[in-house]
Amino acid sequence: MQRLINILLIFKEYVVLALLLIVSLILLSLNDNNQIRAIRSYTVGFIGVMQDALSIIPNVFELKRENEVLRQLNVNLSNEANLLREARLENIKLRAMLGLKEHSTHSFIAGDVVGKSLLLLRNTITLNIGEQDSVRIDMPIISEAGLVGKVIATSVHYCTGQLMFNKDFRASAKIQRSRVDGIISWDGGEFLKLKSVAKTQDVREGDVVITSEYSNVFPRDIRIGIVAKISEKTGSLFRDIDVKPSVDLSSLEQVFVVTMMRDTERTLLEKKITPTK
Amino acid sequence: MISRAIKYVIFTVILVILQTKLMRLLSLEGITPDILTIWIVYIALKEGQLPATIWGFCVGLFFDFVTGNFIGLAALTKTVCGFTAGYFYNENKTTSMLSSYRFLIVVLVVSFIHNTAYFIIYTRGTDIGILQAVLQFGLATTFYTTTWSLLPMFAFARKYLS
Repeated sequence: MQRLINILLIFKEYVVLALLLIVSLILLSLNDNNQIRAIRSYTVGFIGVMQDALSIIPNVFELKRENEVLRQLNVNLSNEANLLREARLENIKLRAMLGLKEHSTHSFIAGDVVGKSLLLLRNTITLNIGEQDSVRIDMPIISEAGLVGKVIATSVHYCTGQLMFNKDFRASAKIQRSRVDGIISWDGGEFLKLKSVAKTQDVREGDVVITSEYSNVFPRDIRIGIVAKISEKTGSLFRDIDVKPSVDLSSLEQVFVVTMMRDTERTLLEKKITPTK
Repeated sequence: MISRAIKYVIFTVILVILQTKLMRLLSLEGITPDILTIWIVYIALKEGQLPATIWGFCVGLFFDFVTGNFIGLAALTKTVCGFTAGYFYNENKTTSMLSSYRFLIVVLVVSFIHNTAYFIIYTRGTDIGILQAVLQFGLATTFYTTTWSLLPMFAFARKYLS
């Protein structure tokens, strides 16, 4: 210990320099301006290349386990696909009878998670798909379990996704059973929060939360999670609703980017009628 | 020791106010002299590398908070500035360093390193390339700052050599 202290004292100038540079870089990263976005984009590209290079080392045991899980999932999905095919045919028939417009469908770009940052308040993942694969900023990211987040930065071969467990994340959501609307966000705790739900509205523990058709970023009816806990604060008109996400973000490996672009015509119209300061 | 630190704090506050309020009036083609770099070089030549590194960080951070523009950038670059200037510290030659052309050379070298780092980061996300940032903004600010360091050099020469 004494030896370590002696070494630190010998190199005290370098130690202090390193500490102050780390503090400065942390402060720099807290900014949210064009410069930092550009630097993040370069960093995403660089880290992506590095992680991609390291990912060629195969993990045999992991691959075997993954293979088993995928086979099981394949059986379940085949079964579910059959049921859905039936339901879709029925849905088309009923919609035609009612004269309703068909929901738009989107294609998916599969990507591997090559990097994760799950320690901070702004949690992100890095995917090995980028602008070359038609990935664009604001495209939603999903997995087979449900919503994961959205793309916030891209480079040619990589992109960064903002996870739902990110202080800046917002999504229009609704309770699947009662169609009650709310906003999904994260306050830094164990669960997501469903906000703006009045105390009078029908929400129960165990209710499934899905994306709402009001969102201009996320497609409708993507599963977000289930209501884990409902509490009521005195003096507030709204309920405090905790939502447990369907996706286990810590073990996320493969995801899909939905090729859905923000409807600019709708955004412009909504901006036009939104009162400004 | 404490009275010297208080003196440095007061000088820092005055110089940051001067840099933010007055120096923009002296800018040429958008290039402003950086008197805080000169101040950190002075501290480095007077006190040594470690104090200069710490003072560089404090001065930069204070400047960031006063301007409210890109928090952390000046702290980062001024820390590097203090550390680099500290290499020119020589306990026995402080007065001769401060009162001769060597002070200008230290300011020139340190200012160039500082401005290169500063403008490379500051111009990201714009149409300005790295080379343009270094040559157009970095070098110009370096020479303008070095020109301004003539003033303290003459003052030190008058003080120490008379």
